[in-house]
Amino acid sequence: MKRPLLPADCAAVDAVTVAARWLLGGRFIQMGLEKALHPVLFLKLLEQYHMTQSSLALNGIAIVLPWFEIFCGLLVVAGIAVRGAALLLAGLLAVFTAVVLHRALAIQAAGAIPFCAVRFDCGCGGGAEFICAKLRENAAMFLLAAWLLAGRGRALCVRYNWTARGAAQARDAKP
Amino acid sequence: MSDNPAQAGARGGGGGLGKLLMEALWVAAAGVAFALLVNQISPRGLRLGRDYSEAQPDALSGESLEDRLKAQGLHLIKRPEVEQLFRDPRRQRNAILFIDARDEDAYQKGHIPGACEFFPYYPEKYVAAARPLCDFADQIVVYCAGGECEDSQAAAIYLRDTTGVPGEKLFVYGGGMSEWEAAGLPVESGERNSGAIREGGK
Repeated sequence: MKRPLLPADCAAVDAVTVAARWLLGGRFIQMGLEKALHPVLFLKLLEQYHMTQSSLALNGIAIVLPWFEIFCGLLVVAGIAVRGAALLLAGLLAVFTAVVLHRALAIQAAGAIPFCAVRFDCGCGGGAEFICAKLRENAAMFLLAAWLLAGRGRALCVRYNWTARGAAQARDAKP
Repeated sequence: MSDNPAQAGARGGGGGLGKLLMEALWVAAAGVAFALLVNQISPRGLRLGRDYSEAQPDALSGESLEDRLKAQGLHLIKRPEVEQLFRDPRRQRNAILFIDARDEDAYQKGHIPGACEFFPYYPEKYVAAARPLCDFADQIVVYCAGGECEDSQAAAIYLRDTTGVPGEKLFVYGGGMSEWEAAGLPVESGERNSGAIREGGK
């Protein structure tokens, strides 16, 4: 009989990766819901980033982003198109982190306060937060997304690959 | 239901990146379609072409301003007390401070005389000027346009949580500028303490 490529205790690794997947997906669902339940507040918080002067573009972002986060979060939790969703979440996290950091530096300079004492509502969905805690959280979530991108978190997946061909390949590849 | 990550890694090379990008593209397209659809059917959904600049963030929640403030640990103040504070001589010594939480245009057109500008969505622009005044003041009245206005609430929360102004000092004037002007009280235009004061908001 062919030996599995990973040792038998990989069940524990599976459990950890599934927990990581649920944690990442669950956090995005939670953050998306916070925004979706208070869309005008989210829109006003978005304005503070001076991304665009066009209210149409701003409204578009405020409409799409919360539900997009929820959608990707649900896919990751359910285990559907996990790597594609993880890639998008990693991209979102990279952009969010950059803009939040930029804004925190502006607030720090204006208020002449230590960087980690900067606390503001970044519109991320958790109310006012200390910037260092926020950056740490984003970094942890980015690492989880990168881990999923590397092919981890395949246990308890409804459909790990999105396309039918991908699903068939995944079946064929099983030992 | 699952397969081996090591095998997945082995499959990941070569065409793996293209497949991953294609999958991400499909997920992105489906995610955008999902978002537009849910927003369309949601009673809280935003309308793409509408200008929300004057809208109040929680106008759809059905909760009163007083309840929302209470939940945030803030105090609501009514016009008689606001007028009393405005006429209090301590205001001239900056021991009583008024904070205008509306945007710059609205502030320049007319604000409560002596009020300091602090639009909470651009705090970095105003915090340097507002902070020493807040530190010095014993009582701070924050207001915005009026009605169910939430910008004053956002400003008060920012001042308390980020700049460390004690919450006991902060009072949110719910009636705001519209009530103040409607009551025929003095309004100052231009910069703070510009002296360009008109009575009764005329």
